[in-house]
Amino acid sequence: MSSTSQKHRDFVAEPMGEKPVMALAGIGEVYGKRLEEKGFDKAYVVLGQFLVLKKDEELFRDWLKDTCGANVKQQGDCYGCLKEWCDAFL
Amino acid sequence: MSSLRSKSAQDISDLLDEYGIKHGPVVDSTRSLYEKKLKEAMAKGKKGKPSPDKTYYREEEEEVTYEYRTPVRSDGAGDSGSYMRSRPEWSEREFEHETSYSSYLRSKPEYRGKDFVDEPAMYDTPSTYRNSYLNSTPMKSQDAPKAPKSSRLIPLWVQFAFFLAVAVFLYLVFSSMETNESLKGIE
Repeated sequence: MSSTSQKHRDFVAEPMGEKPVMALAGIGEVYGKRLEEKGFDKAYVVLGQFLVLKKDEELFRDWLKDTCGANVKQQGDCYGCLKEWCDAFL
Repeated sequence: MSSLRSKSAQDISDLLDEYGIKHGPVVDSTRSLYEKKLKEAMAKGKKGKPSPDKTYYREEEEEVTYEYRTPVRSDGAGDSGSYMRSRPEWSEREFEHETSYSSYLRSKPEYRGKDFVDEPAMYDTPSTYRNSYLNSTPMKSQDAPKAPKSSRLIPLWVQFAFFLAVAVFLYLVFSSMETNESLKGIE
């Protein structure tokens, strides 16, 4: 439980609504900007992508790496964050 | 492979299935990812075809020796430790494994002569297994001059001696305790 960041815990605690993509765990300023440029300007759009990839870890990680260049740790954080959110609210 | 771009979503989906790649729907946002995966799979696929012959051979060999391993694994605690260590090495050096195997066999009769009642019964079946195994593969003992002992961190005889020493020590402790208890029992 203590292995997740505060950002993760904040995100997973409530429905994401209109939160920006930078609210996702693992996605900071730099990666957030890159995602926005590609059209993923809100967290729910990334959620959409996550769902279209059938919540598969490998596919989502690959996609994240290709789209914004996130490293392994960030990929994992983002995946974990979205997965837990889905488990709670989807 | 720019021809991937011109393929329909259904074609991409079919290709992904062909290569056994797990995937979701092929939509705008996922298309480029899947095209990239297909490119990698195609590149691998071309290289992979000649090598399966070799891998099959190796797997075959591994399987054969594994069958004879399983009865041995249920043996005494100290031995299984050393066996586990030699296992990964075994998969790399196929020939050397057979010689280390035969050296293990030689040290077995030594072990049988000791006090433990249960062990000899366990050793009977594996030894017959191993005898037939050695008879069926006469050719592979060519590498006997190579030192099999180098594959073990602690030599086998040291392990046996240590085990024996511990056993004797425990027996002495136990036997000295018995006399005390019997005195108390009378009262």
